[in-house]
Parts: sequence; structure tokens; C-alpha cells
Amino acid sequence: MANARALDKRRKSIRNIRKITRTMELIATARYKKAMDRAHAVTAYTDRLSQIVSSLSAAGTEVDHPLLQPRENPKAVRVLVLSSNRGLCGGYNAGILRAAVPRIHDLKETIGNVSVDVSGKRGINGLKFRGIETAANYTQFEDQPAYDEVDKIASGFLEQYITGQFDRLDVVYTKFISTSRQEATIETLLPFGSLDEGGDSGVSESGDSSNTSQYEFLPTAESILEEVVPTSFKAKLFKCFLDAAVSEQVARMIAMKGATESAGDMINQLSMTYNRARQSQITGEIMEIIGGVEALKS
Amino acid sequence: MPLRCVVVTPERTQLDREAEYVSLPMFDGELGVMQGRAPMIGRLGYGTMKLQTAAGPEKYYIDGGFAHVEGDVVNVLTGKAIPADLLDSEESRQSLEQALELPAKSPEEAQLKATAVMRARGQVRASR
Repeated sequence: MANARALDKRRKSIRNIRKITRTMELIATARYKKAMDRAHAVTAYTDRLSQIVSSLSAAGTEVDHPLLQPRENPKAVRVLVLSSNRGLCGGYNAGILRAAVPRIHDLKETIGNVSVDVSGKRGINGLKFRGIETAANYTQFEDQPAYDEVDKIASGFLEQYITGQFDRLDVVYTKFISTSRQEATIETLLPFGSLDEGGDSGVSESGDSSNTSQYEFLPTAESILEEVVPTSFKAKLFKCFLDAAVSEQVARMIAMKGATESAGDMINQLSMTYNRARQSQITGEIMEIIGGVEALKS
Repeated sequence: MPLRCVVVTPERTQLDREAEYVSLPMFDGELGVMQGRAPMIGRLGYGTMKLQTAAGPEKYYIDGGFAHVEGDVVNVLTGKAIPADLLDSEESRQSLEQALELPAKSPEEAQLKATAVMRARGQVRASR
């Protein structure tokens, strides 16, 4: 029969763990809300940016920029993997690595020159374990990535892309679709596909603004376009970082919720076993006493 | 109805208020916007944005970006918007010195240096 005291000890330790996981869940919920607000703020920015783009194209500007042109025969590729610094967030980092590793091997076979940048300790360690060398590691991004930091990385990428140090940039990150769905996705950010993708409503708005007003462009539409393209690239990369941060918090929230629930189930089960063990111990003791009394009688 | 001035950065909507007059730091100098201005899209430089509101004048340092004026609404899209009072003049002067020391051996480097110097000069001006 199981030892009642040992069972009680186990039950206590599980209770403590449940306290921790519940707190982590609450913290993740609070952080998720904050991260979500920031993700909404960036859409306000990209919406306005795509409005500018659509009025530029409505004015008949030729949308042509070195960042927009696809490059034939890419020789060097850059891959940026966005993972988290902390664990205990379910399958979040595993999903990212599962998407990133085959893509990296694939690119190595077809193009050859691949350098990998990673953000987040989990991703750094995961890739190291899988024998993939990384060029740059970032660990400064937590639940609220700062635009300044992303801007630095984005400017570095743009500079290297323009000077021809690499011909393609792939970003592996977890896309936030809804609270119940996040997907590890791979997006090619450079060459920059099309400008309208920068904002979600870019296509729908282009119709209205073309017939409402004629804009004055200062200095010229071309000069503005030259500046818009890098800016929307930066905004898009920033959006990737924010999406990754939101998804991480959601993943942690769900993982910790599951942990709290299963801790509760475990406690119930252990309590039952404990009560049974205690009962049988008492029964045993009573039997002993009765046996002793019976022995003395005779 | 007075002008509405909205300043949006990727991180948040920094400012959304009414003003009688807005002075924007365009890439080639200041541009004043009053009520009833023709629609315009313009490139911003690094400098000070001034607002004339009912509560008094306000100043912000703007870090490049775009201005979009339409129907008495001034939209400013920028990477950073800092109230001019919060800028440290000593710090901005130091960043100007650092920018001036950057190497400029190739055309790309020269361009980077020029941008850094312009940005730092804008900060120094705004912090005064």
C-alpha cells in the first residue's frame, strides 16, 4: 500500500507548481493584451502608408524600385528566424524550428550561400543543436519589441541587400491569425513583393482615393516612392516581430492553462489515493488493536 | 473647424489633437499648414514640428517619414516623434560629433554619414 505521507508530500508540491503555472498564465494574459495593442498600432501606420502608396499609383507614378525587382539567380540568401527567449510556451519554438530547418537545408542545396540570423535564446540553442551555424544572434527582443531595435536590423538588411551582399531575405516567424490559431510561416521580405501587401486594406482603398483628390507631391512622386519602399519594408519587418511576440504570449497562455488544469486533475487523483491509503492504514491499526484485545481475552 | 493633426509611429499613435497651425519639417525646409490647404503628400526631414493649439504652442522632434494632408487632417508618419522638451541638448550634440566622425570612403558610407549628420543636426536644433 502506498505511503500516505509520501502521497501528501507529492500533493503539496503539485499544488505549488499549480500556483506557479497559474501565475504564469495570468502574466502571459496581461502581456498578450499589451502586445496585441501594439500590433494594432502598427496597422494604423501601415494603413496610412498604403494609402500614400495607392495615391502615388493613382497619380500614375511608375512603381519601380530596386527593392521591388526580383533578382535572377540569387547567389546568397539570408534567413531570419524569430523565436522566443524563454521556454514554457508549448510548441511555439518547436514549430518555428520545424519550419526553419528544412527551409535552411533546402536553400543550402539549391543556392548554397545561406547565412542565418536568429532572435531568441531558444532558437539560438535549437539551431546550434541541429548543427546550423548562425551569423547574428539577437536576444534583446522580449514581449514588446522596440521599433528602434528593429529599425537598426532592418537598415542593416537594406544596406547589405542594396550593396549586393545577399539577394534574398526570408523571415521565419509565427503568424498571429487569431487567438486560437498561430502558424509558423516563412515569408520572403526581400525582394519586396508588392507594396499593397503592406497594409491589409491597401487594395480596397486604392479605388476611393484615386477619384477623390489630386495630390501635390513634395518634392516629386518618384522621390516619395524611393522613401516609401524602405519604410514599408521596415514596417513589415516590425510587424513580423510583433506577430511573433503576440503569438509567443498566446502560446504560453494556452500552455500554462493546460498545465494548471492537469495539475488540478492530478491533485484530485492523488487526493483520492491518499484518502484511500489513510483509510486502509486506520483500518489496519484498528484490526491490530482488536486482534490484541482478542488475544488478551483468551 | 481647426486642423486635426495626427502623428503615427509604428509603435503607437503619438498625437491626435486639433491645432490652428502646423509647421512641418520637410526634407528641404519648413512648410506651414493652415486650414483649407490643398491635398499634399510630402517627404519629411529631421527637424521640429510646431503646433499652434488653443492651449499654446507645442514642439516635437520628427525623425523623417511622410506627411499626408487632406481635408484639414494632417497625417504625419514617422519613425520617432519626441516632444522637444524631452530632448537632451548635450546628448544630441554628442551624437552630432559621433556622426561627424563616421568614415566616408565609399559612396554608400558617405550617404550614411550624410543621413546621420542631418539627423543629429535636426536633434540639436530641436533641443534648443
